[in-house]
Amino acid sequence: MAPSSSSASSGDSSTPDTTQNHLQHSFVLHKASEKLNSSGKARRRIDLSLTKPDGKKESDESCLRKEAFQLVWSRIESTIKDVLRNMNAHVFNHIRSWVWDSFNAIKPFPTSCLGPFPFVSQATCTQLFTGLLLTNNMEFVDDILTFQELGLSLKSHGCHVANLSSSDFSSKNGISGCLTSLFRHFLMPTFDAADMSIFASWYSQQGNYGYPVVVIIDNMEQCCGAVLSDFILMLSEWVVKIPVILIMGVATTLDAPRNILPSNALQKLCPCKFTLGSPAERMDAVVEAALVRQCSGFAVGHKVAVFLRNYFLNQDGTLTSFVRALKIACVQHFSTEPLSFLLGWLLVKEDSKGVQSEEVVKLASELLSFARNQMAEQSDVKIAPGLTELTRLQKLWSTVVLCLYEAGKCNKTQLLDLYCEALDPDTSNSLASDSRTAIGKGFVQSLSSDHCMLEQNLSYRKGRLICQLVCRVRDLPASLLCQLLNSWENLTVDVLEIHDKVKELQSILKFEEGSCKPDLIEISRRRTSRSPLKIGESQSVNEKAAILMDCMVRDFMKPIECTPFHEIVCFRNVENLQSALIGDSRKMIQVDLLEFHKTLQCSCCRRSGNIPLPSMPDTSIMYTLAQEHGDLINLHDWFQSFKTIVIQYNRKGTCKLKKSPLKKRKERNESENKSEAFIQARFCRAITELQITGLVRMPSKKRRDCVQRVAFGL
Amino acid sequence: MVIEESPQITRRTTRSSALAKCPNNVVEETNASSQPPPTLDDLVLGEEGESFSFDDLVSSFPGRQSQIKELVNLLGPQNSPMLPIFMYGGTSTGKTSILLQTFRHLKRPFVYSSCLTCYNPRILFESILNQLILHRKNAENGYSSAKRCERPSDFVNFVREALVSIIGKLQGQKSGKLSSKMSGKANGNMIYLIFDNLERVRGWDKGSTVLPLLLNLYDTLKMPELGLIFISNTSPDTYDSNVGYVDPNPIYFPDYTDDDLGQILMRNQENKKLYTSFLSVVLRPFSRITRRVDELSTAFSLLFRKYCEPVTDLRVVPNEEMKRRLFSHFQPHIAPALNEVFKVSQPSTEVEARERKQKGRTRKSGGYDVVDQLDFHMSTSTKYLLISAFLASRNPATLDASLFDSTGGSNNRKRKRKVSEKSMEQKETAEQELLMKGPGTFPIERLLAIFQFLCGANFVVKGGSCPLEGSTRYRSTVSEDMALQVARSIKFPLSKYLYRR
Repeated sequence: MAPSSSSASSGDSSTPDTTQNHLQHSFVLHKASEKLNSSGKARRRIDLSLTKPDGKKESDESCLRKEAFQLVWSRIESTIKDVLRNMNAHVFNHIRSWVWDSFNAIKPFPTSCLGPFPFVSQATCTQLFTGLLLTNNMEFVDDILTFQELGLSLKSHGCHVANLSSSDFSSKNGISGCLTSLFRHFLMPTFDAADMSIFASWYSQQGNYGYPVVVIIDNMEQCCGAVLSDFILMLSEWVVKIPVILIMGVATTLDAPRNILPSNALQKLCPCKFTLGSPAERMDAVVEAALVRQCSGFAVGHKVAVFLRNYFLNQDGTLTSFVRALKIACVQHFSTEPLSFLLGWLLVKEDSKGVQSEEVVKLASELLSFARNQMAEQSDVKIAPGLTELTRLQKLWSTVVLCLYEAGKCNKTQLLDLYCEALDPDTSNSLASDSRTAIGKGFVQSLSSDHCMLEQNLSYRKGRLICQLVCRVRDLPASLLCQLLNSWENLTVDVLEIHDKVKELQSILKFEEGSCKPDLIEISRRRTSRSPLKIGESQSVNEKAAILMDCMVRDFMKPIECTPFHEIVCFRNVENLQSALIGDSRKMIQVDLLEFHKTLQCSCCRRSGNIPLPSMPDTSIMYTLAQEHGDLINLHDWFQSFKTIVIQYNRKGTCKLKKSPLKKRKERNESENKSEAFIQARFCRAITELQITGLVRMPSKKRRDCVQRVAFGL
Repeated sequence: MVIEESPQITRRTTRSSALAKCPNNVVEETNASSQPPPTLDDLVLGEEGESFSFDDLVSSFPGRQSQIKELVNLLGPQNSPMLPIFMYGGTSTGKTSILLQTFRHLKRPFVYSSCLTCYNPRILFESILNQLILHRKNAENGYSSAKRCERPSDFVNFVREALVSIIGKLQGQKSGKLSSKMSGKANGNMIYLIFDNLERVRGWDKGSTVLPLLLNLYDTLKMPELGLIFISNTSPDTYDSNVGYVDPNPIYFPDYTDDDLGQILMRNQENKKLYTSFLSVVLRPFSRITRRVDELSTAFSLLFRKYCEPVTDLRVVPNEEMKRRLFSHFQPHIAPALNEVFKVSQPSTEVEARERKQKGRTRKSGGYDVVDQLDFHMSTSTKYLLISAFLASRNPATLDASLFDSTGGSNNRKRKRKVSEKSMEQKETAEQELLMKGPGTFPIERLLAIFQFLCGANFVVKGGSCPLEGSTRYRSTVSEDMALQVARSIKFPLSKYLYRR
């Protein structure tokens, strides 16, 4: 096991400050397992590792793969960053205008009135304008970057900004600690004592005066309430001289300030609420941009997607860790899949469409020829057209998924769920068996075909998300259907087959509107109330839309794992990813203790089996012995058996040395004198180690002679 | 936006009447860095040559005439020594403002320091010394104080030096150029030290050194030209006074009466008639809850806006019929506002957007079930942990076995207990205790055990936790509503496991 290094954590939140922050996510990485992808399935794998003629080629290839990884990951990373930034931009604009509005309401005093006494004769003017930024997220890691970006955006609009973290408001450092870190943002670090008069004097200087001072506290719920309330009281005493505007991040609900702060501090706040996008929304946006829209060509298999989803929902819940998991998947893909470098070629090819950079073209042709060479040795498969086909299919797939998502938006379908289902090869298989019956009719006919078959199919696949979506389209009121078709029209611009059908449906809908004349609301009301007076025409539009959707799913949404050559772009090894992410640390400790010889590789302990040998490390002996006990281990028994094993070693050791008998005897006496204390010390050390690794618990008051075993089994 | 900060007199500054008249020209603001060095005049509040009579003073503080008179009497005529004064009374009863305005009226030099802003002895000492030595921290001197002073004994020495020199200056001013008006605006050769928020000092090293020093300063320095004034929100009895120093003269500021509050809130209202009718509605219920002017004025400023909503012209003089109409419109807002300490507003644009969104959503989602969800995101394992912490904190530990162990509960039930009157009583007191104490503490092992039960076989988080022996105990501060909400989101029947007396 190796603790994480920054290489893996340079995900979404890796800004210099984050690394120092105590909120840094910790995770455990295993040492890389040697075995390559070892799923026993007989799928068509092109294994290059067997046919490597020389070392040069190998290094060439790994170099190419590394390059490809960098290309792909930088693409994904920048896409994710852009998505998140765009999500926040709207809220940031609100905050900015609010900051300036409240600053204009404060109107700080002219600088000559710098006396330390308050100028207040009316209570409301000691109120601090406070923005409460709801992050809707208990896990704070995702928001560190958000708050930094908020600070930058305010700074770029002329505000003085200080980003404080909740660790600045600790009861240990008290009020002086948080004032010091506040002043550090504005003043030279050499000031003597953090005194508000310094701050006032700084503000009155040329260039500083006339702009709002924004203090951002990123997570107020983790602040020490007493310190925060002192801070607020102090700022409110000075707010007339220094126009401070507070922005506090709140993870849960608006009750949080009420729970933390005493009423006299609350009374000084003039709060205003802002809301960031929820993690689920952000997650959907990231999935859409990075995985569904295929910004990089890299894809994950169904099992990996489901694992990532469950990891996000159940265990960690942060976008940061999701992105990191994606990165690990990406690393593992490029390190295990020999042909993965072609992904880089695909990307470069895509880019060079517009810009005919010589270097790029050269690289592309180089890559391609290299691939051809490789392929020639192995088989006659034409890889280039295969890859083009692969990208085409993926594009179709993503278009359909986005269309489905669009249809599911009105009832809050999560893209993550939809994505997992759309990747499922089983879905596609069941669909394929359906389509075999319908294959003669073809796509065009199926539009006009009776909906009996559709009904049947749907009932047979009931309960699944995609089918639910298709069903819902049939119940959609006309106005929403119109919206949906419009968005489909935009989405399917590249896919002519679907685009034409969408246009057709749109024209039908328009015609209907024109002929029937009832306004949209009227129609929708009828639709929802399910009155018997259904207009046959409009029903058929809904029906047709549903059929179109079904056909899209059936004919165009081919999961990546069902396409040839998907090994090149698709990562499917969920076991590797799981062990890299979750890293079952306690199990690993136990395994290491019991099978230490695998690590030590010594000759003396190899033959042991399960019998403790004196040459084993003390902790291992102890743990092996503990295996024989129940949940309570008598310390005396344990010590005795430990002693027997260790003494056995001492005797053996002296015998082996074959020294002169006199010397031997002397040594033995000495060792016997020493041994008792020595063995006790070793015993204690070993038991402490076991305690620290969380395998035993120290004796309780009730039973002083027994320790308790905590871990059972592996 | 930046250009807008023109020095016009704001709403707020007009309230603090004359203060708004302090230099307000553009030159002062923009050339801020070239401030003149502080002079003796900076120790005096108010403008050169302005007249702020005793009547002005009294009229600006309704209901405080007797306190002001007492204060002025205790301060005495010009150049007369005085004993320390101790002003006390609840928050927002006008102590600080009255004192400062009184000094503005008397035009005597003073040094003000708030023990809230000066949060430790060193900053307090240096703040006083800086003002006495006429030193101002700025970028040129690296924001340093005139004297570095941490120990109380140093402070006494420094402050004596500084006082002597400044009193000398004051006397020189007087005797030197009697005729010229430029000699300064300070009256007399007394100098006053004001310590605001004195109750905060009790928290500094348990009040053992600094508090006696301050209260004893008058005896220690023995300077007749020095006046000491302490302001606190607790009475002098709460300060340990058997150390042997002279008891200061107390002035008590009682809470305002309803009439006083009415007068204070009425100041600077544009439409007095309308506001009177508003006050007649709200003041009585609110003054039963709080008499603090600051709390009332914030609460009322929002409520008054609501009250005025039906009124188109804000200058209207309301008649009886209109008052009745306004009241019936306004009445439903009073009761909820009484409980509201902390009202969060939304920027108008966002509100609109949200409302629009809400409308759209309700229209769209018509017919489909709306799943009740948490407002914020939490991973499933966190939710389970939270619920187990909540249970560990609320339920007595003895109950765990019967609730969570399939075998544990049955044995206990067989034992039939006879309920005596005494045990009933005991139970009742225990109930009350439970209610008073709130959530209890628990060891981490118990939390993990419950967590393991709740997660069951299908959800066990491996690794990560290290159950070392530790004596730390924890407490869940989650409110019951929140816990129930979390439980609902993972469909866990929390109420079944909750011990209710």
